[in-house]
Amino acid sequence: MSGSVILNWLANTPDFAVPYALAALGLIICERAGVLSLGAEGLMLVGALVGIGAQIALGQPVVSLVLAMLAASLVSVLFAVMVIWLRVNQVIAGLALVFFCQGLTALVGSMADWTNHATEGIGTMALWPLSLLPGVGRLFEQNAMVWLTLPIFGAVAWFFARTSTGLRLRAVGENPQAADAAGIRITAWRFAAVLAGSALVGLAGAYISVVSTKLWIAGMTGGRGWIAVGLVIFARWSPWKALIGALLFGCIEALIPQLAAAGVQLPQYFVMMTPYAVTLGVMVWVALGKRSGDDEPGALGQPYVREERR
Amino acid sequence: MAEASLAAMAHPAQTDMKTKTTAPPRMHQPLASRRYTLEIRQHMAWRWQALILAAALGVGFAISAAILVAAGVPADELANEFVVQTFLDGQNLRAVLFQAAPMILVGLAGAIAFRARFWNLGLEGQMVWGAIGATAVSMWQIGPENLRLPLMFAAAVGCGLLWVLGPAWLKLKLGVNEIISTLMLNYMAANFLLHLVYGAWKDPKDNFPYSPQFRAFERLPELGAGVGSAILLAGIVALLAWWLVGVSRVGLYLRFVDANPRVAHANGVPVRRTIYGAVLLSGAMAGLAGFAVAAGQEGRLTQAFYQGYGFSGILIAFLARNNPLAATVVALLVAALFVTGRSLQVFYQVPFSMVQLIQAIVVVCVASSDFFIRHRLRRVGADIGTNTAETAA
Repeated sequence: MSGSVILNWLANTPDFAVPYALAALGLIICERAGVLSLGAEGLMLVGALVGIGAQIALGQPVVSLVLAMLAASLVSVLFAVMVIWLRVNQVIAGLALVFFCQGLTALVGSMADWTNHATEGIGTMALWPLSLLPGVGRLFEQNAMVWLTLPIFGAVAWFFARTSTGLRLRAVGENPQAADAAGIRITAWRFAAVLAGSALVGLAGAYISVVSTKLWIAGMTGGRGWIAVGLVIFARWSPWKALIGALLFGCIEALIPQLAAAGVQLPQYFVMMTPYAVTLGVMVWVALGKRSGDDEPGALGQPYVREERR
Repeated sequence: MAEASLAAMAHPAQTDMKTKTTAPPRMHQPLASRRYTLEIRQHMAWRWQALILAAALGVGFAISAAILVAAGVPADELANEFVVQTFLDGQNLRAVLFQAAPMILVGLAGAIAFRARFWNLGLEGQMVWGAIGATAVSMWQIGPENLRLPLMFAAAVGCGLLWVLGPAWLKLKLGVNEIISTLMLNYMAANFLLHLVYGAWKDPKDNFPYSPQFRAFERLPELGAGVGSAILLAGIVALLAWWLVGVSRVGLYLRFVDANPRVAHANGVPVRRTIYGAVLLSGAMAGLAGFAVAAGQEGRLTQAFYQGYGFSGILIAFLARNNPLAATVVALLVAALFVTGRSLQVFYQVPFSMVQLIQAIVVVCVASSDFFIRHRLRRVGADIGTNTAETAA
């Protein structure tokens, strides 16, 4: 592999990594509050569809992305009501949400005729002065969302580690009984976490449709939401590790077109399996290296019922 | 009256307060000061359970109907399309039975795995592998003609079983989350299927992405009157599954493991072997569903035959509460929904994804209705509210 191929590969990596990173971050917010959110795949589809729809109608990328976030939050209200108020099994509710969103987005997408309707994405933004470096300078010419992802990560990491609000949110996921006794309103916090996390997951989906591919195809997220769920386990619910994991997956996904462009002959469908195979491998690797002090939120997946003694 | 005085004796403060006020200011009492508490209901009469379930289904169907009408199906045609056309028309009823065979098999596959608390979301992948196994026997012409179909059957069962063995082992040995692992294996199986039908197994006759057609002796025979034997196969498997979970010792073990694996282990139940058995059986049944589609419906390996079955299997198992016989009935209804969905697609240009949406809506409604079966909302300390209102005044 020549140098230019490697440079191309690295320059394309962030574009593939952003959806994983944002979706994983959204899931971390949700799961830190103790709500196991398996619905990411569906919410990403909602974000992707609404993003492209708004883009076709209005053509304002910023508006499209914001609308996609709002739409994903809105749909996640259904999930939140099910798991927080009605105490539905969180796995069942998450799966139902995915299938609901898959059906809904495929339906709306084809009825509104948004399929394969190409739109204009957003332009690149050079990170001056790093972009002036000889050779590697083009690594720093990325679209605005790539650059925006970093402060979003910083803000969430700071929120969890340094603010009392973040501490409260973690308490809700770690030990809701104790948090409740301390006067924290479990239901309200969990609702807020689900809505906020889902907005980020929706943004991840909208990034794929509005910024990356610039068009809508039914089911276009192709399992990225599920990979993000696995990524969160790999990252042990830590934002920065999730970012590293997302970059790893971005690297792998960016490599596929580069190899094809470089004329390397590989069986196409086996190459397309790699993200899933790597996810599986990563899950096994995490399980092998499991430490005793688990980082998993203590009450993950358990509904909180004040009247119930445990 | 006697009851009232008893209550008064139990709560002296309450009566004290009541004697002071002639009319408690209930009208202006803010809602928030009334206290409600949720109680776990230990038991609910089955009549009420059935009523709540029926109400949930009613809500689900009403929402679905509203969406269908919004999508352009005339409201007065709905009943006709869903009931009259589907169940009372001979040809459509045959189509439902045709569709039901793999549906019953994936539903049973889901139910068996969920009974062992294993979220087998890899039904589609196992189904793909079942069909690949059956097709391989046909492609490579293994065995004599009269043994070909049983060999395809065995290959489908074996392949489905092997595809779930990995996640089962990873879960029980290393504690790897089976939801993610089985889903990832679905995507891998789907890509491998594409690799085959776009590559080595492509039909040389025309250049479409499917395998060459099976010969007549490699296809499930008809029972007569246009009904295939796949539905008979599914019925037999359903009865066996019912015997397994309802009558046999394994069924008892499964209930034990589902209730509490640690207590089960302490009582000498072979917990790991029971879970392995249930999960592998689930994979085998899903593989069989792939065989039912390949040898019973399509007569070849096609590129997207499995789509929609994975979710339907989970939905069937969930709605049937993992009961094999109930799963068979639910699977028939889901099959009817599929058939109706196809006719709506033809006559009203409603996208087929509508079928998935309706299924999801029904699951959401039924899952939510469980809350009302398991909890009761009881008003407590209503007088506390009155009390605070009084002191404020």
